[in-house]
Amino acid sequence: MRWENFRFALFEKAPEALLEHSMIVVITITIAILISVPLGVFLSRPKYKKFGLVTLNILNLLQAVPGIAVIALALPILGLGMKPAIVALLFQSLLPIVRNTIAGLLGVSSDVKEAASGMGMSQRRILWEVELPLAIPIILSGIRTATVYVVSIGTLASLIGAGGLGNLIMGGLSLFRPEYLLVGAGLGALMAIFLDRMINYLEYRITPPGMRVE
Amino acid sequence: MIELEQITKQYPGQAMPAVDKLYLSIPKGEICVLVGPSGCGKSTILRMINRMIEPTSGVVKINGQDVTSTNPDQLRMGIGYVIQQIGLLPHRTIAENIAIVPRLYKWPKEKIKQRVDELIVMMGLDLEKTRGKYPSQLSGGQMQRVGVARAMAVDPPIMLMDEPFGAVDPIARTHLQDELLRLQKEIKKTIVFVTHDINEAIKMGDRIAIFNAGQLVQFGTPEEILTNPINEFVEDFIGRDRVVKKLNLYLAEDAMQPIKCLLREDELQNVAQKMKDAGAEVAFLVNETGKASGQISAGDVAEFGMDIEGLRKRARRRSNAFVQTTTPFPDALSLLLEYDADYLGVLKGEELCGVLSFQGIRKHVYRKEGE
Repeated sequence: MRWENFRFALFEKAPEALLEHSMIVVITITIAILISVPLGVFLSRPKYKKFGLVTLNILNLLQAVPGIAVIALALPILGLGMKPAIVALLFQSLLPIVRNTIAGLLGVSSDVKEAASGMGMSQRRILWEVELPLAIPIILSGIRTATVYVVSIGTLASLIGAGGLGNLIMGGLSLFRPEYLLVGAGLGALMAIFLDRMINYLEYRITPPGMRVE
Repeated sequence: MIELEQITKQYPGQAMPAVDKLYLSIPKGEICVLVGPSGCGKSTILRMINRMIEPTSGVVKINGQDVTSTNPDQLRMGIGYVIQQIGLLPHRTIAENIAIVPRLYKWPKEKIKQRVDELIVMMGLDLEKTRGKYPSQLSGGQMQRVGVARAMAVDPPIMLMDEPFGAVDPIARTHLQDELLRLQKEIKKTIVFVTHDINEAIKMGDRIAIFNAGQLVQFGTPEEILTNPINEFVEDFIGRDRVVKKLNLYLAEDAMQPIKCLLREDELQNVAQKMKDAGAEVAFLVNETGKASGQISAGDVAEFGMDIEGLRKRARRRSNAFVQTTTPFPDALSLLLEYDADYLGVLKGEELCGVLSFQGIRKHVYRKEGE
């Protein structure tokens, strides 16, 4: 190990890699939320509940495919760069959010929904004012799981030229420079832990005071 | 007025309809209790009134208007709805919970706040302490108070209550029942009240509808039902203590007799003569402030004769053998047994206004029973 290599990895390479990696994560998770939450809401409506199991199974399958295989499969179809990487990562991140959205919404006590409906709240209003606020902590916990996945699997995205912390790791491996490896993997781990804690805190803050377990 | 006409509800996959060709007319301003064993269709009927359940056939009319002519959400906004599970929104404060329907009506903020405060006070809850609390911080009884307040928020003329006090402890339940009855005297709402407890039905109902297996078995005032149960089912449902239950319907003033003999405590030596002159079986004593302080019966006079001190002691022992005009018979009977007495003084406030005797109670109930 040489300090010089370490310094170079940390101060010259890492900032850009970290920025790229963050972009991959943020974009992927944003798209995943935009797809998954409405899908979860849709699948939790009584009318469409029957599609729930099928959808979850499909997502489960997608989730079960190893990350590296998804990335490899994305290459011939979508080419190189960040876009195909994001598509590939999306597959990995939809399931936890959809699953938790459904679980959160179905977990809202039927008594509360019955009372709300009996008072004349419309179904739309019940969704926005009752179901979603009560389900949000659980939805967020799904988002947290997905985020940690994407941070770690995102390191593979460098294989198809998306950049990110994977560049440092791969570089370290091919150049026999453990310092690069250490910086890439270490920053990845720190990022995962940081985001996990941050969303966890958000979960706590957003849980209505009447429902917090203190 | 709520009218159910030829209402049938058939759930898919069930052989018997849950409600079968029901006609029921619920008068305005009264508490109508739907009672029956579980699965008799009483909750289904209640929920068809605000369209939480749609009948398979038949028409529900409120004040002559078919409920299906109104959008269900609009309809429900105008009908108070209280359920056993209460269903307060756990993420909203008590004040916000009560404000739900006023907000649906888009009342101005100031008016909502005023109404919410008024209701919290009306339900006997501490305004400052309760307003900002969350439902999980309240006891079951308090939560149901909030549930009732929430249903009354926009002062709807009709309230539907589905076993509203079924999940609270017996003491809180009695309180809630008494308060609802007290409130009802002022607010005069049309209340449809579902319960499986016949005692609650007798207590709460101006009218009781007894159901079994989707059929209306008997509909009438508690007195009619307790006096003339229409068949064996109703008799069984009411229980063997039917006539004892009926005692709850009468108050001390119903069987009260005028007082014939009243004397001051210092006149005790003349009690035998005074009672004889008045032809009274019982004499009441008043103390120097004019307050009723005891009673002497003809039996006591025979027992003690001229032993004035003995009489005084006996009279004092019964210094609490008094009831209010509004005391129901069972409480009066309990007092009679407690003091081993045949008579109770009846007070209106502080003032002695009559006498209630064991015999009087018996005769009153028997006369009603014979009608």
